[in-house]
Amino acid sequence: MLNRYKVLFARTALIATAVLLLSPLGTLAQATAAPASSSQSTASASKDRWLHVRVISSDAKGETVRVNVPLELAEKLLPAIHQDRIHDGKVKIDNAHMNDVDLHALVDAIRTTKDGEFVTVQSNDCDVRVAKQSNHLIVHVLDKENSKKSEVEVKVPMKVIDALFSAGKDELDIVAALHALSAQGDTELVSVKDHENTVRVWLDSKNVTD
Amino acid sequence: MMLLAKAALGLGTTIVLAGAYTMREGVIRIDVDEYHAGGSHVHMWVPAAAVPMAMHFVPAEHMRHVSYQAREAMPILHAIVKELKKYPDSEFVEVDDHDQHIRVRTHDGRLQIDVDAPDQKVHVLCPLSTIEDVTTQLEEHGPTA
Repeated sequence: MLNRYKVLFARTALIATAVLLLSPLGTLAQATAAPASSSQSTASASKDRWLHVRVISSDAKGETVRVNVPLELAEKLLPAIHQDRIHDGKVKIDNAHMNDVDLHALVDAIRTTKDGEFVTVQSNDCDVRVAKQSNHLIVHVLDKENSKKSEVEVKVPMKVIDALFSAGKDELDIVAALHALSAQGDTELVSVKDHENTVRVWLDSKNVTD
Repeated sequence: MMLLAKAALGLGTTIVLAGAYTMREGVIRIDVDEYHAGGSHVHMWVPAAAVPMAMHFVPAEHMRHVSYQAREAMPILHAIVKELKKYPDSEFVEVDDHDQHIRVRTHDGRLQIDVDAPDQKVHVLCPLSTIEDVTTQLEEHGPTA
């Protein structure tokens, strides 16, 4: 009888060992199979602000580029970059390329002025409109020169522009601008449409493009 | 029989525990295929936890050399990984055209880079925690350490 139990125990131990030995292979198979089933939920659970860039080319190659960047990531990452003109999240502006235009004075003038149209050009070639509206600086260009029209629309909150120029005279504070941008609601910043490309830059709380 | 069973159980338990420890962070997968004459084909599959462990056995002079060479990229890499860990399942870059596909994303806390082009295929999958461990160890051997 005792001998029977011993054999039973021994068999159980062997089976248990075999199962234990094989179980990591199962885990491994799951681990390696995981990348294939990549249709995970990408819904952002937090209140993160994401900057999206989407470029759709309608040429023969039909290229599509989608870039999604969390603003917080960009804010933390930029100060770590020290390359050429970029230091501590700020970009040095070369005065030689500014044609003696005092950007700070220009921005200050725009900030303090009331809403209105600053530049309006209407011609057969193109329409240009630069305006301040609801605390946003708006630039709209419609190129009519070719039969294939192209349209550019830029809409930047004034707070972002203020933050951008909040550093020294010859610097743009990118981190401060991103921080100011993160406080904004969902908004479209840049839209470019021409016969070949459609470009969109916008801000929202989703970590995926439309 | 009894002795054999005990030995098998002990061996099995040890292997499972070692396997579980090694696999706790998943695996690093690197697949590179270059489709041209003399093109390389690299297929690497390494338990992620083994890499930081193995780095302890790399001679200090080599670690210092690598750390010195990577000194400029190290703070950026460290900042990227630290921030990416907050986004364990996100798409960051996707480029598609009719014969190329590039994708950079995080999936289940792992960085996934896929490049599919007619002349090459590159697939990299690496747990973010492993990249963080590696950068931390390299920083410890850096010139400022």
